[in-house]
Amino acid sequence: MSGVWVVLEERNGRIARMSWEALAAGHTLGAQSSLSVNAVVAGAQTDSLAGEIATKAVARIVRLEHPLLAVYTSDAFTLALEQFIRAEQPDFVVFPHTYQVRDYAPSLAARFGQVLIGDVTGIGAGPVLHPTDKDPSVGTPVFVRQLMQGRLNGEYSHSGNGTCFVSVQSGAFRADQAESAPASIEIFTPKIEQAQIRTKPGQPFRGSAQTVDLGSAQFIVSVGRGIKEADNLPIVQELATALGAELAASRPICDNGWLPIERQVGSSGQTVSPKLYLAVGISGAIQHLVGMKGSQCVVAINKDSDAPIFEIADYGIVGDLFEVVPALTEAVKSAKH
Amino acid sequence: MISSLPTLSEPQHFLFQEKLLFVVLAAGSGLLFWRRFSPILTKILASKRDADFRLFPLGRRVWDFFLEVVCQAKVIRQRPLPGLAHAFVFWGFCAFALVTLNHCAVGLGIGFLDPSGWFGRFYFYFAAAFAVACAAGILGLFVRRFLVRPRWLGDKLSWESGFIALLIFLLMATYLAAFFVADTSATARLLWWAHTITLLVFLPIIPHTKHLHLVLSPATVFLSRGSFSHIPPLAGDEDFGLVAGTDLTRLVSLQAYSCVECGRCTEHCPAANTGKLLNPKEIILGLRSYLNECGPASAEPLLGKYNSQEAAFECTTCGACEFQCPVGIEHLPILIGLRRGAVNTGAWEDDYGAKLFLALERGSNALGMSATERDKFIQKQELPYFDGSQEFCLWLGCMGGYDPKGREIVADFVRVMKYLGTSYGVLRKEKCTGDPVRRLGNDLVYQQLAEANLETMAQAKVKKVVSICPHCVRTIQEDWKEYGTPPAIEHHSEFLARHLSQLPTVQSQEKIVYHDPCYLGRYRDVYEEPRAVVSHAGQLVEAPRSHERSFCCGAGGGLAFLGEEKGERVSHVRAAELVETGAGIIGTACPFCNTMFRDALASKGNGAPQLLDIAQLTARALPASAAPTTK
Amino acid sequence: MKIVVAIKQVPERDAQVHIHSTSNWIEEEDMQWALNESDAYALEEALQLKEKHGGEVVVVSAGPERVGSTIREALAKGADRAIHIDCDDLNQRDALGVARLLSEAIRAETPDLTLTGLQSDDLGYGQTGVILAELLGLPHASLILHVEKTEAGLTVKRELEEGWFQTIELPVPAVLTIQSGGNKLRYATLMGIKKAKTKEIRRVTSQDIGKVAPPVVVLERISVPQKQKSTQILGGSPKEAATALVEKLKFEARIL
Repeated sequence: MSGVWVVLEERNGRIARMSWEALAAGHTLGAQSSLSVNAVVAGAQTDSLAGEIATKAVARIVRLEHPLLAVYTSDAFTLALEQFIRAEQPDFVVFPHTYQVRDYAPSLAARFGQVLIGDVTGIGAGPVLHPTDKDPSVGTPVFVRQLMQGRLNGEYSHSGNGTCFVSVQSGAFRADQAESAPASIEIFTPKIEQAQIRTKPGQPFRGSAQTVDLGSAQFIVSVGRGIKEADNLPIVQELATALGAELAASRPICDNGWLPIERQVGSSGQTVSPKLYLAVGISGAIQHLVGMKGSQCVVAINKDSDAPIFEIADYGIVGDLFEVVPALTEAVKSAKH
Repeated sequence: MISSLPTLSEPQHFLFQEKLLFVVLAAGSGLLFWRRFSPILTKILASKRDADFRLFPLGRRVWDFFLEVVCQAKVIRQRPLPGLAHAFVFWGFCAFALVTLNHCAVGLGIGFLDPSGWFGRFYFYFAAAFAVACAAGILGLFVRRFLVRPRWLGDKLSWESGFIALLIFLLMATYLAAFFVADTSATARLLWWAHTITLLVFLPIIPHTKHLHLVLSPATVFLSRGSFSHIPPLAGDEDFGLVAGTDLTRLVSLQAYSCVECGRCTEHCPAANTGKLLNPKEIILGLRSYLNECGPASAEPLLGKYNSQEAAFECTTCGACEFQCPVGIEHLPILIGLRRGAVNTGAWEDDYGAKLFLALERGSNALGMSATERDKFIQKQELPYFDGSQEFCLWLGCMGGYDPKGREIVADFVRVMKYLGTSYGVLRKEKCTGDPVRRLGNDLVYQQLAEANLETMAQAKVKKVVSICPHCVRTIQEDWKEYGTPPAIEHHSEFLARHLSQLPTVQSQEKIVYHDPCYLGRYRDVYEEPRAVVSHAGQLVEAPRSHERSFCCGAGGGLAFLGEEKGERVSHVRAAELVETGAGIIGTACPFCNTMFRDALASKGNGAPQLLDIAQLTARALPASAAPTTK
Repeated sequence: MKIVVAIKQVPERDAQVHIHSTSNWIEEEDMQWALNESDAYALEEALQLKEKHGGEVVVVSAGPERVGSTIREALAKGADRAIHIDCDDLNQRDALGVARLLSEAIRAETPDLTLTGLQSDDLGYGQTGVILAELLGLPHASLILHVEKTEAGLTVKRELEEGWFQTIELPVPAVLTIQSGGNKLRYATLMGIKKAKTKEIRRVTSQDIGKVAPPVVVLERISVPQKQKSTQILGGSPKEAATALVEKLKFEARIL
């Protein structure tokens, strides 16, 4: 067995942030079990990525290189990592829980008779609290992941021998950590043939950009009656632009013709589920709430502290939107630099 | 002295040829009538039996018949002038039954009413009085239909109606003229023939015109289901509502043929008045065309060529049409029946509708909110759970449990109950009563919701329920009966009205205009209780359309969940009407009305009146120490 | 096209969840159950493919007796027949164990296409479909929003992160995991429920399928997360509140 191996992922020519978080998780495991922490990166050309990793605290870096790894396919990635893992026999393989990992890591683990412990939010030290266990194995890590869509936490243990496969949730581990001495960089060339790759991936593309598509927007800034006049809309538009967000509105705004009807969120308009829903001057009538209740994070800015929107908001600022919104626009702008 | 008055002339000594001609003509006229009428009767009788039809008890039927047919109560009450004109035509016809019988007998030389005898003298004068009223009435109706032309009668001028009016006028005129001629005069004979021919022409016209209601509507009124918006249970595994001709029941077919096209339903319909496709009169006439062209055995869909699906789903189920109809047509079972046919077979495709159905298939409320939101509200308000020891189970409903405005109403109603020392508790879990899916025709989801709730209530041993929502009240009390025995329930207006003497009053001259919710007024016949509550809190002002003629807010029938409406918004029209009264406060008694008006008033800016539920109006007068109101 | 859809019964979205006294599962008594959401989308995709190209839709579900109601719901929405794998210990099996059960039932059907939802709403492993492909030796694609049948096989639309998508071509037979929201779901109808009564539900026991391997990954304990969602009101001057908000969004909510 050869310690903890973290599989890092490339995004736009660089190692993505989530991969650094996976590395941090790897360090947690390494520290608990006194194992070395190593990194592996797959692709057709991985030299610069390996260089990037070399600045971090890892014992060994392996470049899993093959021309057929240039574009991600589950077949090629599974094959390459399978061969690498058979050769290295790691104790733990740690992934960032990305869409790509979700696509191949379960197959990969299954090839070893293993099961990926996916979307982990925390790693604790054993022993696992098991009422029937008379002789709890000390030192077995406990993996925490969410159940019932976040309503419960589950604690998992890996039983038996063999490699333990883990993927960690975005943001669960802090990526910023100490730099370290340069590690050794090796190249591993898997055997992959074109015929083994059964799927043909196309180029990534964006969702239709022409029409307003609030349904798939990641960030939405929504404005309500608190804006008072159509002439005041630009201050909210500026905030939306700073955030890279779509502008939306409650029904009275669209009824007045201040914004087009396709930007209306609510029971008679669009149903949205963005990562961030920033409600500006919206009191939160039920017709509006039903359209945005699926949002991941809700921020409300309203001068009425009793406004129902605060009931469902994660963060709230009670204040005059004409003061708060420009201040927020500035804060967002400076945070982005 | 009486004997000095002219008597009705009765021509004597008809020639044999004349008698023969009369018999032949009468037989021809009768035959023609039958040839036209029997297919209609056959179609009605060939329609499916109404599964839940019970003739008994007769008392209710006889009383309805007496009021609506004999007294013409509905006709007069809802449209006094034309109603009275119609009543006189109707009473004239009744009075004329004996006269006409005698008239025919005279033609055969066996007249049995002696015009100079005391009874004949009395009766002919009695009939003459009606003849004058009837002639005046028909003239008035003619003027209205052809010169005044109210818009709900449609754009098309009906010449046939004009012709019929002429015939009725002629019948009366020829009768009255006969008082002024001698028995033996040629004029008397001429008048007799004119009267006879008018009668014989009139008879066969009846079945093919709206005057069929002369024959059918007494039966329609007598046989009607009786209770308002009674949705019949589905009968057997093949019944999905009104899908095709084979689903039309005898009552539906009878009602389709009874329509007199008076347009009262259209006049009061919120959809027809705001530029939507739906026109309840056309729905009924569409069914009639279907019966005429396809018949009750046809598999041709009812929604399609003859009636539009879009129109059927524009109905707010406010029930103004059914309430107004003078000939006993029950529009709601028909409209909801058409929706059931479309939804139960999956023929209705609508994004908003599907979203609502899926939310209620999987979740607990029509708003698609998580049930934990309701729990949070209960905790925040510190509402006690119902444990069987309290007097009332307080039913929150979707609006009371999830809607911020509905929650305010609940919070204030709870303050009032606390003040009165009434014990209450809420259920740990509640599902939507099924009102929106019931009215949209989704029997599957409705049944699931009703059964689940009935079980919850039975387990909690609930005896008495009070709710702030008329839709919940109606559905629990009436519609749930199909699947069990619902507990007794009352609307909070009834509760508040009963306790008014124990509640403090504000000395306020503030004008409050009260809006009758459809599901409280027409559906439950509760008009005065909420008014008493409003009067307790300020000065009650009536809207131009109020009580049983109240105009819908646009939310009912599941429409609150179906997205943007075509044409003008019903809520805006009604809100404008309420604002127009100049009242500073709009008093509501239904959280759906409240939410619709909130939206409509939002566009009115700062000058808009305040919008308060009757519970809020009552709570305002409570001493501040009686627990603060929380939002 | 013969399509198998693997579906799962999960606690209803609104159901109140209580932890069982064994502390490694939830109290199932009085629980209300529903079809897993992304499985509903998988079923919808299958039904639409069948409506377009003909063929048969077979649903497969593993679980105890109660799963029957969810199977009937799927039949009511238009699936042609069903296989119910009787199994009382579903939640104690790991993803591989569940995929093994399903794969044996599906293998015998030799479908052109196997669909599953992306992830279950209860355990949320999100692996069953991918492992199924591995066990059946078939190509797969995950997070699929749309499926198009072509001459050569399939063209599918896959969701990537941050609003990006990708088209993937793959041969049949294949396994796809379906993301929620790609189609509009149909609602269940009374007529569908009545028709479903006459459709075949074949029951097999997990023993029939054989091979009960002990789980590799064990769910030891479940607990209620300490922090419940509540609103944080950010005070101070507008500038201070704005700065605090950006900090929170960046480091606490981690969405900026």
